[in-house]
Amino acid sequence: MTDTLRETAPPFAHASEAEMARILDFYGIVWEYEPHTFPILWNLEGDVVESFSPDFYLAELDLYLEMTTLRQKLVRKKNRKLRRLRELYPDVRIKLFYARDFRALMLKYGKLALADALTGTAGQAGLPEAPGATEPVDPALIAAVTVLDAEADRSATPTSPSRPTAARRRRRRRAAASVPATTTQPDRPGNA
Amino acid sequence: MQTKPDLSADVGEILLSEDEIQAKVAELGARISADYAGRSLTLVSVLKGSLPFMADLMRAITIPVRIDLMEVSSYGGTATESSGLVRILKDLSASIAGEDVLIVEDIIDTGLTLNYLIRYLRGKNPATLRICTLLDKPARRLVDIPVDYRGFTIPDQFVVGYGLDYGEIYRNLRFVGVLRREVYAGGAEG
Repeated sequence: MTDTLRETAPPFAHASEAEMARILDFYGIVWEYEPHTFPILWNLEGDVVESFSPDFYLAELDLYLEMTTLRQKLVRKKNRKLRRLRELYPDVRIKLFYARDFRALMLKYGKLALADALTGTAGQAGLPEAPGATEPVDPALIAAVTVLDAEADRSATPTSPSRPTAARRRRRRRAAASVPATTTQPDRPGNA
Repeated sequence: MQTKPDLSADVGEILLSEDEIQAKVAELGARISADYAGRSLTLVSVLKGSLPFMADLMRAITIPVRIDLMEVSSYGGTATESSGLVRILKDLSASIAGEDVLIVEDIIDTGLTLNYLIRYLRGKNPATLRICTLLDKPARRLVDIPVDYRGFTIPDQFVVGYGLDYGEIYRNLRFVGVLRREVYAGGAEG
């Protein structure tokens, strides 16, 4: 069995990734899901403190593909990681696929209605469309990840601190009220 | 099929006029004729979007040409795409072994379909295999395709006309235009 005809798909983090995998399968493009992790930041002791795991590696094309179909404000963080990756690993070929790219792809394939369901937080892991994902994700966990991502995004730009907006404060309060004390960010190093 | 009183009204901006297209087709035809001078050439067009371009291009080429048509299933075009694989819906009608072959495409964006087609046609052992596309949309390219003849490089917009469709209509427009967002927004699946 080839990689493209796998029966057990990996547990995609986002439904748009699962859809992309189906598209790649359809066109016979061999892919691997998050096969490599690239360290992009080290502390003074030499320990890796930040890394980047592109979503797909298309071996025949020697191309990494990163899906960024979450909210636009979170794209900034991924763009920063991508710049860092390109600085440190100039030979690595990587293509960033934004939400608008994914939407356009769905439009091209006559599946535009699906684009809205598969992008943004609505498409995060656990949707039935994602092969390999059998259990729905607790909405509280999604809220926690969103808040943690937003916090990380702010901490990555210390030179331009911004005051939390009213909406952000409301999200924080909701997340704090709904997230169990034991909930932690999923262990997906470097994957924004 | 849905009846529309004026297809042009759904187009927000004309990207390429009929005159611009025809001038480019003539230019491409002259280049191809010069490059393949003294040889015969097989033009392979990919249905359905390439039909107008193929029809005009073949008449702009002055050397002897054979033509052939292929059709390849598109993602989303089947009910079983979750487990589907691309299929050849219409294969070549004659052998291309040992022939100079030029694939005639309407547009290249991701390059996924064309990548599949190139691999398929290479398996038929043509002497040479080159690519001619009227439109090239590189912004969303996933597969690097060596384009030998390129008409226009266009921005990352959803275009219709001159063979390009949305929901199987707009192909008969004589120009290439950007479809108004409100035509496809709202979740309608084509």
